[in-house]
Amino acid sequence: MKTNNYIYLYDGSFSHLLNTIANLIKEQIKPLNIQNEITYQNDLFSTALKITNDTTDKLSYKIKKTNPYIYDLILCSYLSAEENKELIIYYFLLNAYKYGAKIIYMRKLKCVSKILEIAKYVHNEAHKMKGFLRFQELKSHFLFALVAPTNDILGFLSNHFQKRLPKEKWIIYDEKRKKMAIYYQNKIYITNIDIKNIKLLFSKDEKEMEQLWITFFETVAIKERKNYRCQRNFMPKKYWHNIIEMRDKIENNN
Amino acid sequence: MTLKDKLTILADGAKYDASCSSSGSSRSNCDGTGNASISGICHSFSSDGRCISLLKILMTNCCIFDCKYCLNRKSNNIKRAIFSPEEICEITMNFYRRNYIEGLFLSSGIIKNPDYTMEKLIETIYLLRKKYNFHGYIHCKAIPGCSSYLLKKLGNLVDRLSANVELPTNKSLKLLAPNKDNKKVTNIMQTVRENKNKYFVPAGQSTQLIIGATTDTDYDIMKNSENLYQKYQLKRVFYSAYIPVNKDKMLPMLKTPPLKREHRLYQADWLLRYYHYKTSDLLTIDNQNLNILIDPKANWALNHLNEFPKEINKASYYELLKIPGIGPTSAKRIIKSRAYYPLELNDLKKMGVVLKRAKYFILCNGKYFMPSKYFQKQFIYTNLVLIDEEPKNNSSRQLSLFYENK
Repeated sequence: MKTNNYIYLYDGSFSHLLNTIANLIKEQIKPLNIQNEITYQNDLFSTALKITNDTTDKLSYKIKKTNPYIYDLILCSYLSAEENKELIIYYFLLNAYKYGAKIIYMRKLKCVSKILEIAKYVHNEAHKMKGFLRFQELKSHFLFALVAPTNDILGFLSNHFQKRLPKEKWIIYDEKRKKMAIYYQNKIYITNIDIKNIKLLFSKDEKEMEQLWITFFETVAIKERKNYRCQRNFMPKKYWHNIIEMRDKIENNN
Repeated sequence: MTLKDKLTILADGAKYDASCSSSGSSRSNCDGTGNASISGICHSFSSDGRCISLLKILMTNCCIFDCKYCLNRKSNNIKRAIFSPEEICEITMNFYRRNYIEGLFLSSGIIKNPDYTMEKLIETIYLLRKKYNFHGYIHCKAIPGCSSYLLKKLGNLVDRLSANVELPTNKSLKLLAPNKDNKKVTNIMQTVRENKNKYFVPAGQSTQLIIGATTDTDYDIMKNSENLYQKYQLKRVFYSAYIPVNKDKMLPMLKTPPLKREHRLYQADWLLRYYHYKTSDLLTIDNQNLNILIDPKANWALNHLNEFPKEINKASYYELLKIPGIGPTSAKRIIKSRAYYPLELNDLKKMGVVLKRAKYFILCNGKYFMPSKYFQKQFIYTNLVLIDEEPKNNSSRQLSLFYENK
């Protein structure tokens, strides 16, 4: 295998990333790095290039069909906020072609233990956000939620709420990625949109319900057992600004 | 009385019930609101570190019973309230839509008689399921002494049913809860067990025991739990450290609830359910209480030190399970991985083995990790106790037991 000094770019989509990596493996090229062309910043010492324009999802479909578990690992790393995720996926796939399905038990390889770790982190965060997400009812009867997860888990969340609240219409907005999932009439639409300084008009019951919930939240705690550290362990502070009952507690140093 | 006042009173009365899990049911949505998630979802964590997944309330805190330890007992002079079925449904639906909760936990004081109370509970839940079209998780308390006809009706509507044993021996029950009868509780468990299927109480049944209100030993408690798991196939037994809410000469006056003891009992309970231990492995007639300073699994290993250290690359699944610091997940990973290459100490860490516990009890390719002269009971014991003393581990381990997502 030859190592070269090129940085390979992909258009930010999952399928283009996979096709780029597959091409590199086929040509037996060990890249310096693989990067998203949207966030890529030019530097003096390396050259960036795009080797394929293939954005079909034929390959991702093939991987999904042959081994759904491996597909899930790759998809999760793609969605993660990990810095060198593209290279990790590259090395993981390189070894996966070599060893086949048993690759997932070979934690001795750094790329394998790393990708398992990342996938676990992404799934964990998605699971937590399914609980911590809070909808607010707007005047238009849309349910509206703001989230700011570390990883890009909007897809997991919208699938979850499509099954859970099929009769409602709702919007989940990812503040960090400026991405929005809209569910309306049995369909999910995901779009990139920046909604800075938006004014929300809430329905007339909204404030009352929030107050009722906060009352319940405060009442249900047993004061003889109070344990703020444990609370924070399970519900990290980074999520608090979007959790209705915790919002006012950010300033308090409990 | 406003809705907010009622909620305050009736949530306050329900909060001592430890059960918070919303797992075990995969009820799907059919043209309505909500579904159940098989793993359960925690929606928030209260300031005591316990998870909030269900709207945990009483239908009413009026009660004809006079159990000494209970906040809602007849002889207490407190504000009483009652929710109408519509009120419960409205709050549940509004909370659920906003994703505050995973479902409803409905308990109640006993009004008039058990059957009347049960009918009221059924009315509420029927309304929620049929009129409001709610398909989320519902955990409901069964009222001991109700007719089996009503019990079966309720079981068809809910995901989990539970009846609380509260005290492990008949003697203490007579002392503190003179109106309660252990037989009535086990009757409920028997009926649920016989009828359980995909549509009837899909998430199974659970119960709760109070710890530290009587002189019962850990041996009494664990024997009782073991019996319940075997005989009625309970999903969970919850342990609740006694908190003095009433003054009574029959009750002990505790300054702080026995949280540490509760924690050790939960650990022992886990050993029964996931690690193939029996109560008799952990406790005997001569040694009736768990060691507070060290977890029961490490304690067992120290008492059977002649079986250790175990070779990681050869030990069977069941042998791996008995090593402190290795659980079902990491044991399975070890078995899978060692088929491809022999494991070393470093590999174990990547598999989720808690090395600071396990390192005293294992061999990797025949290698013990430190000079073999340190392989002795007193040395290991001291070190393990010190791990538990660290405050950071202490709090997180203690309450992690309430976090049920597995």
